[in-house]
Amino acid sequence: MKKHFFLFFIIAFVFALSGFTSIEKDNLISNFKLKSATTNKWISLSDYKDAKGFIIIFTCNKCPMAKFYSQRMNQMNEKYKKMGVPLLAINSMDTLAYAEESFRKMQIKVKNDQLNFPYLQDKKQVVGKNFKASVTPQAFVIWKQNNKFVVKYEGAIDDNAGDNEKVKNHFLTNAVDQLLKGNEVTVKNSEPFGCKIFYRGIKDKMK
Amino acid sequence: MKNIFLAFIIALTTNVINAQYSNMTMPEALYGTTFNLNIHESTKQLVTGNQTITGSINNETFWGPTLFINKGDLVHMNVTNNLNESTTVHWHGMHLPAVMDGGPHQVIPAGTLWQPYWTVKQQAATLWYHPHLHETTHAQMTKGIGGFIIVKDPQEAALALPRTYGVDDIVLALTSRSFNANNTFVSPPSSNRVYGDYMLSNGTLNAQYTLPKQFVRLRILNAEIERGYNLGFSDNRTFYVIGNDGGLLNSPVGVTRLPIHVGERYEILVNLGNDNVGSNIDLKAYNSGQSQSFPGGEPATGGVFGSLLNNTTFNVLHINVGATTANPITSLPTSLITNTYWTAADATVNRTTINITNGQPGPASIPFNFDNTTFSLTMNPKVVNLNDIEKWTIANTNPAVFGHSFHLHDIEFKIVSRNNGTAAAYESGWKDTFFISKGETVSFVGKFDDFADSDVTHPYMYHCHFGGHEDGGMMGQFIVSGALGTNQNETNTSFSLYPNPSSNLLYVNLKDNNTEIYYVTISTITGRVVMMLPQPEWQNGIDISSLESGVYTFQMMDKQTKSLTTRKFIKK
Repeated sequence: MKKHFFLFFIIAFVFALSGFTSIEKDNLISNFKLKSATTNKWISLSDYKDAKGFIIIFTCNKCPMAKFYSQRMNQMNEKYKKMGVPLLAINSMDTLAYAEESFRKMQIKVKNDQLNFPYLQDKKQVVGKNFKASVTPQAFVIWKQNNKFVVKYEGAIDDNAGDNEKVKNHFLTNAVDQLLKGNEVTVKNSEPFGCKIFYRGIKDKMK
Repeated sequence: MKNIFLAFIIALTTNVINAQYSNMTMPEALYGTTFNLNIHESTKQLVTGNQTITGSINNETFWGPTLFINKGDLVHMNVTNNLNESTTVHWHGMHLPAVMDGGPHQVIPAGTLWQPYWTVKQQAATLWYHPHLHETTHAQMTKGIGGFIIVKDPQEAALALPRTYGVDDIVLALTSRSFNANNTFVSPPSSNRVYGDYMLSNGTLNAQYTLPKQFVRLRILNAEIERGYNLGFSDNRTFYVIGNDGGLLNSPVGVTRLPIHVGERYEILVNLGNDNVGSNIDLKAYNSGQSQSFPGGEPATGGVFGSLLNNTTFNVLHINVGATTANPITSLPTSLITNTYWTAADATVNRTTINITNGQPGPASIPFNFDNTTFSLTMNPKVVNLNDIEKWTIANTNPAVFGHSFHLHDIEFKIVSRNNGTAAAYESGWKDTFFISKGETVSFVGKFDDFADSDVTHPYMYHCHFGGHEDGGMMGQFIVSGALGTNQNETNTSFSLYPNPSSNLLYVNLKDNNTEIYYVTISTITGRVVMMLPQPEWQNGIDISSLESGVYTFQMMDKQTKSLTTRKFIKK
């Protein structure tokens, strides 16, 4: 009896443990307001009253991996904005450290790449830290639930930066398509790749 | 009928085999006395699918250009760090002032132009440059940042040796990499694996290169994180070592196998004159059956010290024999140059043995270091007196855990003993890096000439060249100390800048003409460092033309007091 009781206890404990790990804490994103190099105006999530969600892509001017994606991002915004999922690009690079990432150079990129989406400067690196963005490009899909934005996907945009034609996994757009159909996202994250975002004041490799 | 079928199968197989090779990149050659090096992140199609994010210099997508410099020339380097993080550029094997050396103390912040310069004092040799930022060397080397330096001099030029770059005289940087699922390199901080699964020759996988039917010269560098290569040709032909790290040998040394360890360079001559045009031969790493103290000899294929290439024999370069060029080299020189090497008896200082310590496996282990002291940027340096000839002894005996690649900055030296015996003939020349196997003791003799500077904030380094080992603290430092200058009275380090505002050249007007400018650092008004000038040639004016217009601070460190004085100027 004692033995059985002990076994029961173990099973209950394991069950509790597995139950605990399977409860996913929603990663919530609060509203933010950043200046757009596209329009030279301040933009916040709350400006988009009818948005079902957003495609958020952390990117920058200089990174060669990020440079590959301008056209694809234009196409995504064109397609999904109409469906209530606009694309916002955010540059969280440290502007004190990198002259290349200045607002003026962001404006030049908007012009050269004819970006059709807001290219926002996260000058204080607050939004990047909230998202825990680590490299450029890094994509997030956030979805409106009970007037809050929940992270539904984070990771790479797709699995082939250099050649759009050879992409096998459209991670980001697959996630948006599933959400638009009211389904759960099957691939919730992937390993992003690109240039590291260094956060000012955090002792890392920026010695 | 059967024969035709067989022939068809053979033809098909040959095609498949040929198709698996890629033409090896030969880095762009740069000549002159001023070199602009732009270090940046890049991408390269290395494996099928996604491109790999790499680090490179100028127009390369992995690695950097080959710099040709002449003995006696004053060379200027304009190194711009366009990475997202700090780095350094060490001129490996170059005899130059410590403050120009690019070791862990000469940190170049992101976005900064660093301008070292020096007079080339050494003989013709194959050197290289690479990042050396403390605790970050493994990661930045993995990106692929680096390049060759080829020093030329009249003695070398007078010899009948191949020297048409990219044709009969090629550079060959050996390294290996592993790939994550998204084709990024396996690298710190997410992985501490030290051996790659795939061989890269000048950044090319499955490399092939066409070399002419004659004597050809290969300048081989082991640019690895840790792996050694036991090189040889697939038909076991004899080839000839003509140069070590620091220059040409007295005469060629014939070998059939040549071990080359991290940081080492060997120049070899191979005779392709008896091969048929259209035939091929492989340069291979005969790493199968090496001892476990030989880096890459470990049998494991996975884990931190595992790799698909470990303890196997694999291809380094598939050589296609092409047509003979005009004016080919068709014979082996019997002698090369006359080196006067130091002997143990020349040493006037016998330095206390430096012991390789720690590094035993286990979770509580302290990483490898020297004399039980883990490197720090501010540790006490050893002090060498200018022009002393010193004998250094490195012991890998207590405890003997693994082999290491020992590298000394500043000078080239001569190995005078290995385990109380003599060094192999192929490593009998000037060296700056050598392998010390488990249980071994190695002594070398060198003269610390030319560059005395007692500044402890800019020392020279000695260290293990394995990326993980140096990052882990297996490094020490030394300064070369000259006769003390006569103590001046308090120097007035005040100065003014003119013209101000300025657009191209900025001149310094010192209040006290005895002030010597040791270092100038130019920063934006927000504190971002934009230019670093060690011992600038300020008398000719400082070129600020690359700066954007704005207000800058000009910080001057004077040599004697090391005090900092700051002025502002406006760039028009």
